[in-house]
Amino acid sequence: MNRSIRFLYLALASGFALLVLMLGYWQVIAAEGLDERADNPYKLEQQRLVDRGRIISADKKVLAESVAYREKGKKYYRRYYPQGSLASQVVGYATPEQGATGLEQFYNRYLAGSYGTGAILDRLRQETKDGADIRLTLDTRIQRTAEALLSGRKGAVVAIEPRTGKVLAVASSPTFDLNQVTTDFASIRKQSDAPLLNRATGGLYPPGSTFKVVTTLAALGTGKWSAGSTFDDKGVYVVDGKPIYNSGRAKYGLHNLTDALTFSINTTFAQIGDQMGGRKLGREMNRFGFARPVEIDLPAGEVAVSGRYRKGKILPNEQRDSDSARIAIGQENLQVTPLQMAMVAGAVANGGRMMRPYLVRRVITKDGVVVKQQRPDELDSVSSAYIASEVGRMMQSVVSEGTGTEAGLAGLSVAGKTGTAETGDPNRNQAWFIGYAPAQDPKVAVAVVIEDTSGTGGTQAAPVAGEVMRTALSARPVPGEPTT
Amino acid sequence: MSLRTRELWFLVPALLLGMLGLSAGASARLDELQAGPWQTALGVAMVFIVMHAVLRLRAPLSDPYLVPIMAALSGIGLAMLYRIDPGLAGDQAIWVTLGGIIFCAVIVFMPDHRVLERYRYVIGLTAVLLLVATMVFGTEVNGSRLWIEIGGGQRVQPGELAKVLMVIFLAGYLREKREVLAIPTQRKLGLNLPAFRHLAPILVFWGAALAAVVVLNDFGTALLFFGVFLAMLYLATGRALYVGLGLGLFAAGSLFIWAAVPRIGVRVQSWLNPFDDVQGTGYQMVQSLYALADGGVVGPGFGRALLVTEGGTPRIPALETDFIFSAVSNDLGYVGAIGVMLLYVLLMARGFAIATAARDGFSKLLAGGLTAVVGLQAFIIIGGVVRLVPLTGVTLPFMSYGGSSVVVNFAIAALLLVISNRSRQGLVEAVRGVPAT
Repeated sequence: MNRSIRFLYLALASGFALLVLMLGYWQVIAAEGLDERADNPYKLEQQRLVDRGRIISADKKVLAESVAYREKGKKYYRRYYPQGSLASQVVGYATPEQGATGLEQFYNRYLAGSYGTGAILDRLRQETKDGADIRLTLDTRIQRTAEALLSGRKGAVVAIEPRTGKVLAVASSPTFDLNQVTTDFASIRKQSDAPLLNRATGGLYPPGSTFKVVTTLAALGTGKWSAGSTFDDKGVYVVDGKPIYNSGRAKYGLHNLTDALTFSINTTFAQIGDQMGGRKLGREMNRFGFARPVEIDLPAGEVAVSGRYRKGKILPNEQRDSDSARIAIGQENLQVTPLQMAMVAGAVANGGRMMRPYLVRRVITKDGVVVKQQRPDELDSVSSAYIASEVGRMMQSVVSEGTGTEAGLAGLSVAGKTGTAETGDPNRNQAWFIGYAPAQDPKVAVAVVIEDTSGTGGTQAAPVAGEVMRTALSARPVPGEPTT
Repeated sequence: MSLRTRELWFLVPALLLGMLGLSAGASARLDELQAGPWQTALGVAMVFIVMHAVLRLRAPLSDPYLVPIMAALSGIGLAMLYRIDPGLAGDQAIWVTLGGIIFCAVIVFMPDHRVLERYRYVIGLTAVLLLVATMVFGTEVNGSRLWIEIGGGQRVQPGELAKVLMVIFLAGYLREKREVLAIPTQRKLGLNLPAFRHLAPILVFWGAALAAVVVLNDFGTALLFFGVFLAMLYLATGRALYVGLGLGLFAAGSLFIWAAVPRIGVRVQSWLNPFDDVQGTGYQMVQSLYALADGGVVGPGFGRALLVTEGGTPRIPALETDFIFSAVSNDLGYVGAIGVMLLYVLLMARGFAIATAARDGFSKLLAGGLTAVVGLQAFIIIGGVVRLVPLTGVTLPFMSYGGSSVVVNFAIAALLLVISNRSRQGLVEAVRGVPAT
């Protein structure tokens, strides 16, 4: 029997060897991944002991900071947001109860001081590192203007610097007070208008006629059409037996492509889309990054993918059987984010080169050591510089004499395109404007969307865009130390 | 050095470990140096010293390592319970004392364990009655029916006692039947099998184990009973075929139940994919995994991990019982957890050494079976915590909070020591030419 006893012991002991291996997997190999999960209360709880870094805007306003307090003789830190609801969806929050969102989540490693190769050594030595500050590209002056203009309405504004991809403002309305997250999260959640949703990056809207900018770039790219190409509008264009009309059933007669964009003539763009075909238009959409997640420094769950959706799923851009006539005018289940459309406007402004959008330009310790520095990064070339400037000229005429005159700024030339996506209910249009200024030397590109309005892109979104661009152009760098 | 002196040399550091753990946990609570609950610590230490003294007097030749291992496990367990909730450690100290009394009683009043063999059927019947009583009179706690109320708000887990009784019965039964079970007399399905009437008890046991899963809603106890049964069958016959066959049947039966009983299906689901429902069925598992990850390689030390919220509630449900090992892994890290697992391997090594040294079949089977119970139980619950096997609600021997479990495990240790003492005594007498009794 002693042989059996020995074997039984060996069997049980090898069982324990398996336990040791499995435990090692959780405590050593999988540990880091588990630590970073948003719903992990341990990590967040530990953060109460960490002097978390500040979040500071480009104009040196503190958006988030840690305040020390004592409890039972122990020193803890509490998060405070001096600007309250300003840019709340982008800044995000970090609490043990509700988890973390926005920049607070994306840059948690830096803010909480657990970055770098020293992190494991620090842990072995039981040392805690102070969090590093993150410096944003976002400017509270532009942000505040955008939020004030959106106030009382649902919608979003994105403003970027076309040459670099720096994000200057990301407004989403309605907003919520970040300081209320710890005191009364339930009432924020109860609100019907989803203030927690970042509409600018995560909201999906039909692009309407703003998509004609993409179509125009594609059309000029083929060489078959130019700004002066002429068309004859009969007020209707029929595809697959179904008619496409102009807005208000207007009839424009003889006109050229510039006029078509200026007055947003559906029949002409439908015809171009039809002749170009789904493959060609799809390839063009690939270059603009449709159907792909936008690489931006925000949590993946807060950034939606723009493109064609069917049953809640994104479709590839290139589909042979697709209705390219309707895609060309922004229909056919196209769903886009304001961020994506701001990038489209930015690409035209930047000579056809699309830049990767970013919110944080620098991570810096409290002693002033730069931990991370973000440099502009070119994503893809959507067109030649010549074609981009041609489309830019056409977009200028939209603002100077077409549907987008409300976005015009005194003494400056503005380029843009309006859009009004109709939903069937005349009070529930989605009004759009995308554009940039100044047209000759673009400093800011914007996308504006206003939800559920009876107005149009020209009356609702264009004035907001104009005002935001004016604020952006007048914003001067702020010297000195960050202030609340 | 005598065996008992050696025991004392190991016992003292083991006790100091537990005491240091307690005061470290107390110091972590207030973040300043504290003696901690020194009365509790001294009391528990006294219990082990008394156990040592009783062994010195009544079982001087018994194995010297078991008691120090028990002391180390109980000490770490108490320190963990104290850092979770000081009240729990107070209760546990009382139960350790009770366990110590039972331990001494076994040593003093049962100098020869072989009397048990004579009563094997009475003992086996008692085990069955205890289980049936639990099914009938039991109260349900957390969905499992394992407890019987005994008044005064106290409740006992008869299954814990039934476990030991079953091992005693099986040791007697299998010693009697081992020859007929070991010799195949027929060939069916390409396997050499003994006569059906000898196999029948195995099949009955298999059915009973599965029935227990459904009735008691307790996969852990069923797995434990069945596992120990197979282990002892293997010890008795030396035939791995039984183990393979038994495990195969158990797996087949479990698969059937998994598909047929939705409640069990949910459990398996939360084992395979706990992250699918972090706030619901996967909650406990996920919180435990977070605790393991938080512990890392070395852990922050006794009482320093964030296992308990400000309000005093443990983050992991059933932290003090099923998930005590998560607490160890979090506070003491991978290194500390390996240490605890090594203590169990050491405990098994000693138990099986006692079985090897025993001089008759019954003693070998009894010692081997008791050791297998403790080892297997530790494996099942730690395996559940590290997600190697589905999570089941069994206690971690000597460490988990719970009176029934502590007392029964102390009794198991006492039995092992009696067996060990007896076989060495026999050896001494044989050498001296005195006939063994």
